[in-house]
Amino acid sequence: MSYSVSRAVVDAFYKAYATRDADKVAPFIHDDIEWTISGPVDFLPFCGTHRGKENILDLIRHRVPSVLKTYSFVPETVVVDGDQVAMLSRQSARRTADGRPISYRVANVMRFRDDKVIENFSLIDSYDAVEQVLGQQLMSPAKRSANGEFVAV
Amino acid sequence: MTRPVARSVVEAFYKALAASDFAALAPFLDDNVTWTISGPVDVLPFCGQRHGKDLVLKLLDRDIAVFLEKRRLVPSVTLIDGNRAAVFGKLVASRGDINRTISYRICQFVKFENEKVVNYMSLIDSFDAVEQVLGQQITVPGSARAGDGELVAI
Repeated sequence: MSYSVSRAVVDAFYKAYATRDADKVAPFIHDDIEWTISGPVDFLPFCGTHRGKENILDLIRHRVPSVLKTYSFVPETVVVDGDQVAMLSRQSARRTADGRPISYRVANVMRFRDDKVIENFSLIDSYDAVEQVLGQQLMSPAKRSANGEFVAV
Repeated sequence: MTRPVARSVVEAFYKALAASDFAALAPFLDDNVTWTISGPVDVLPFCGQRHGKDLVLKLLDRDIAVFLEKRRLVPSVTLIDGNRAAVFGKLVASRGDINRTISYRICQFVKFENEKVVNYMSLIDSFDAVEQVLGQQITVPGSARAGDGELVAI
């Protein structure tokens, strides 16, 4: 019979992940995990595909916190179906460099095996995230307006 | 108690949405549906929130088509849980004016009531989408993209 992850396991993972405490997250991470975060690597260096449990724990311990420190991760929707889970959340953080508040939506699409995450794809509102992490608009209002001239509806 | 949505209803809704068949899609939309696409509204005006069936159908049938022609949704994951569904995949389209194919990742969360969609939330890889729709790379002075050689490797 095919494996299905229980909602209790998903909830426990989620609570651990929300703390951003790698020691609490570790029991839920499969050794052969593949973890991908969408977004431009040259603006958000934690984006890209990361493989292996130690790399993921390092991501949580060091690489993401070098850019932003998450203090709130609130699930809005959790969909559990068989061994897969999709979660829509609001992530709030402070930019590590200066403490500036950052908040954007993130979707996690995950596959579990033996009650551990073996695959995750994090889809973030990347344009919004980049603007907030850089602390500036990516396009000047004039340029936005100019673009609007040919794309307006 | 919330009534679960049948898998056949979700599949029929997504078949219509994926194929941009709005006549088939319309019966699945609640009159008071809320439809949200994340992203920068001033760059991608089809982003933002719409309320009501008529506005949503106008968005899907006419407004988005200004930017994205021949668009189709290519799901890779479809999950159903109670009265909610989530779909992860790619949106593929073209822009005839710049002779370019556009493809970006999308994750949709849909809530059903009485077999109709009452809430739709779509998260897109908006940075990627903006670059492709505009047909140009976004650069920021002083950043790696500005050509200063300070590329960040992971």
